[in-house]
Amino acid sequence: MWNKIFVHIFLWLFISINVNGQDCEYSVKGYVFDETSQSALAYVNVFIQETQTGTTTDDGGKFILNNVCAGHYHFIISHIGCEDEKFHFDIFKDTIINIGLSHTPTSLGTVIIAGKKNDFYNQANLYVKRNIIEDNSNHNLSGLLENETGVHLIKNGSGISKPVVQGLYGNRLAILNNGVLQSGQQWGNDHSPEIDPFSSDKITVLKGASAIEYGGGNLGSVILSEPKRIEREPHLHGQVNYIFDSNGRGHTLNSRIEKYGSKLAWRINGTLKKSGDKKSADYFLNNTGAEEANFSVQLEKSWNEKFFLDVYGSTFNTRLGILRGSHIGNLTDLEQALTNDVPFFTEPDFSYQIEAPKQQVSHHLLKTKSKYFFTDNNFLEFVIAGQINDRKEFDVRRSGRTDIPSLSLSQYSLNLNLKYEHLFDKEWKLKVGNQHIVTDNTNNPETGILPLIPDYLSYKNGLFSTLSKKMNRTYFNIGLRYDYEQQTVLTISNSVPREIIRFENTFNNFNGLLGIKYEISTAQSIGWNIGYAMRNPAINELYSNGLHQGVSGIEEGDIGLKIEKAIKNTIEYKWVPSSNFAINVLAYHQLFNDYIFLNPQDEIRLTIRGAFPVFKYEQTDANIFGVDVSSQFTISDSFLGLIKYSYLRGTDVTNDQPLIFMPPNSLFGSLTYRAHKSIRLSSKWNLEDVEVEISNRLVFEQTNIFAEQDFIAPPNTYNLVGLKLSTNLLFPHTKLRLFLKADNLFNISYRDYLNRQRYFADDIGISITSGINIKF
Amino acid sequence: MKNSKYILGLLFILGIAFTACDKDDPVIPEEPELITTLNYYLTPVDGGESIIMSFQDLDGDGGNAPIITSATLASNQMYNGRLELLNEVDSPAEDITEEIAEEDEDHQFFFQTDISDLSINYSDEDDNGNPVGLSTTLSTGAAGAGTITITLRHEPSKSEAGVSNGIITNAGGETDIEVTFSVNVE
Repeated sequence: MWNKIFVHIFLWLFISINVNGQDCEYSVKGYVFDETSQSALAYVNVFIQETQTGTTTDDGGKFILNNVCAGHYHFIISHIGCEDEKFHFDIFKDTIINIGLSHTPTSLGTVIIAGKKNDFYNQANLYVKRNIIEDNSNHNLSGLLENETGVHLIKNGSGISKPVVQGLYGNRLAILNNGVLQSGQQWGNDHSPEIDPFSSDKITVLKGASAIEYGGGNLGSVILSEPKRIEREPHLHGQVNYIFDSNGRGHTLNSRIEKYGSKLAWRINGTLKKSGDKKSADYFLNNTGAEEANFSVQLEKSWNEKFFLDVYGSTFNTRLGILRGSHIGNLTDLEQALTNDVPFFTEPDFSYQIEAPKQQVSHHLLKTKSKYFFTDNNFLEFVIAGQINDRKEFDVRRSGRTDIPSLSLSQYSLNLNLKYEHLFDKEWKLKVGNQHIVTDNTNNPETGILPLIPDYLSYKNGLFSTLSKKMNRTYFNIGLRYDYEQQTVLTISNSVPREIIRFENTFNNFNGLLGIKYEISTAQSIGWNIGYAMRNPAINELYSNGLHQGVSGIEEGDIGLKIEKAIKNTIEYKWVPSSNFAINVLAYHQLFNDYIFLNPQDEIRLTIRGAFPVFKYEQTDANIFGVDVSSQFTISDSFLGLIKYSYLRGTDVTNDQPLIFMPPNSLFGSLTYRAHKSIRLSSKWNLEDVEVEISNRLVFEQTNIFAEQDFIAPPNTYNLVGLKLSTNLLFPHTKLRLFLKADNLFNISYRDYLNRQRYFADDIGISITSGINIKF
Repeated sequence: MKNSKYILGLLFILGIAFTACDKDDPVIPEEPELITTLNYYLTPVDGGESIIMSFQDLDGDGGNAPIITSATLASNQMYNGRLELLNEVDSPAEDITEEIAEEDEDHQFFFQTDISDLSINYSDEDDNGNPVGLSTTLSTGAAGAGTITITLRHEPSKSEAGVSNGIITNAGGETDIEVTFSVNVE
């Protein structure tokens, strides 16, 4: 897809002093080049919003705008394969602007986190930027990452999804919202991350050594969702987004406004979503509607450019319907559901109604971050954050109990992070930090059901240090981390009379990472990362006990589980010979000792409701191997192509069989056409950046699985085609963006291996989305 | 700066204080919905002693295996059948049968058997005239042996073909109960 191409712009502003006496005779000249290959970029649109004047760079990457009056202006720079960049500049003399565009695909991005000096990340990170977020936020946070190389989604129907990176998910993947580890019931495969994508300006997938700082899982990746800093603009700016999705008749409305006031900088963001039953190619998916209401406030204040204080508060509230036909009683029901082409309870008509089974989740975050710069080269950062996560799941129950949740969990957590960063001369960079996390998880007894996850109080303390250095063409990165976790767990016995059993656990985990990157030439680089990590079993892996309604199985934890250990090797090669071609190849291999997984048992548990499959948390030795390839190329000045391929294979070494629930291989391609010149509708109306994109996603059948490892065979290979049209309309103080896109254009019926509802229903059919975005 | 240092210190202490707290015991939930016991009472139409088939799983889904009491029926006999559902975790035991009777439109029992001459027919109905299955008649023919499976479906489609005649195939809904008894007809 067009919008999956990521760009970073660096601006160098040079001002030539050539003061002109008259107000409207200044010239703005410039040169635009590709940051990576250093070559000139032609056909870049340069536009001054206030004057409605613009031009295009020539073959030498040069442009000139004459007769510009003195004043404050907003420049908009746009080019095929790059995100629009807007910056504010005061013109009071003839001015020369040099602009470097990082004109390379996603996974070839160079530096992602803005700082005073470049961070020495030596492994590629993926990131999703604001324009993609704006065009796709009718989906949830995970949905935005779907087309990224090496990222897959575990879904539960269409509304619930979790990211899988390099085969790892759930407890092995950390998600950070605004710098704070997202708390909540992350263990559940049917639990989405509770973050509003509209509150974010950049979603990053960290895969390398830098991930050690965040202490996520077992060498799994870290997903960062971050708003950008409020721009230093004295004017009030804002935007309104509205998206309509034909499938589910979904409405998404978002607005945000911000101002960098003289005393305080502020930004507020609000989102409302409502959608009804989604439709597969042939039938409505009954009870798959969703509602969401989110709000956030961001405040920034600084003193003397030395002390910075940020306050961030957000609330996320959702109500999600679960496909009615996927709520089943026992193994007999499941077998019957598997043989049905159309799920039970399928209705002929569309509805916005959300009934049980459903989920109702709220997540609230309050965070303050203070940062003190001792000098330009060292600073201390302190973050304190509190989170409340309230999850209620409703099942179809007897005697009016449908209104009583059958799972009701409240979780409070407190994060205290302290970090010190120091940049020494000769480009040594040291980071040291300490993270405390206290989590208090409580079941509300209103459910009338023995809880699946027990009450617990956990205390974690992590210490980390990373050191990086650049020497000529070589980058080094070393990281060490130690984590201590103490768990107090209160379970309720299965026997009668019910008793409370108390457990106390302590764990010590060590992590280490080493990364080296060598720049063979300006166009080529090769990197190697090796990491060792330990992850203690999580509460659900130790103490799950009972029927997990969402998956219709009895899940049993094992209090004897040991710490899981892993060694991961990653090799990455990049080649960017020109601004017209780039390729990135990444191979990884992760070897696990005592890999914890939910293993389906031969045993069938007999209960009064009939027989249920039993799943137990077990340990085995395993390995995961994968290759991700991505390439971007321009065919002519107007056509941009993108290809991404992901291969992954997981093996249970001890039992000599495949690992279950691993992402199938996939191939994604897109071709984008962009009109060089704006299309003139009238003297005042110009269509800028007209683009047409066609994309194709091919997901192969998961063949690396034995028949006896699942209830039914994995779904067949499927291929989805997408089409998108977009354009911008520019006015003196407003930018209007319009887009129209179709997903699953040919309305094929398919099922996805990682979607848990594939046992019951087809995945969603054609979806036509139209959106409007107004920036002022 | 001074203020922020105070705040920093205060929050740190708060953090420590938080961890020092002990976690309170959880409240053990009441389990009103739990069905531990199904009793199928069979009374011969022409008098005689009642027979009981029962399935009892006192500790719920996990733990000990359920206790299943099977029955021996007389051949060529007609019985009046009555189902009883109990939650015996609570004491005194809670009668779940009443709940089913109150929501009879949303529930239906199904009886399946592989004993050729044995048949079970509904002798009750809900407000819409569809069968429920709390009351039944069971008739035996020649001697034989096999099983009877009793299934309770919640929210079945009672109007689908065959459902009101006790054929489960098109019923849909979720299974609240599914128990199997081995039965001898002598």
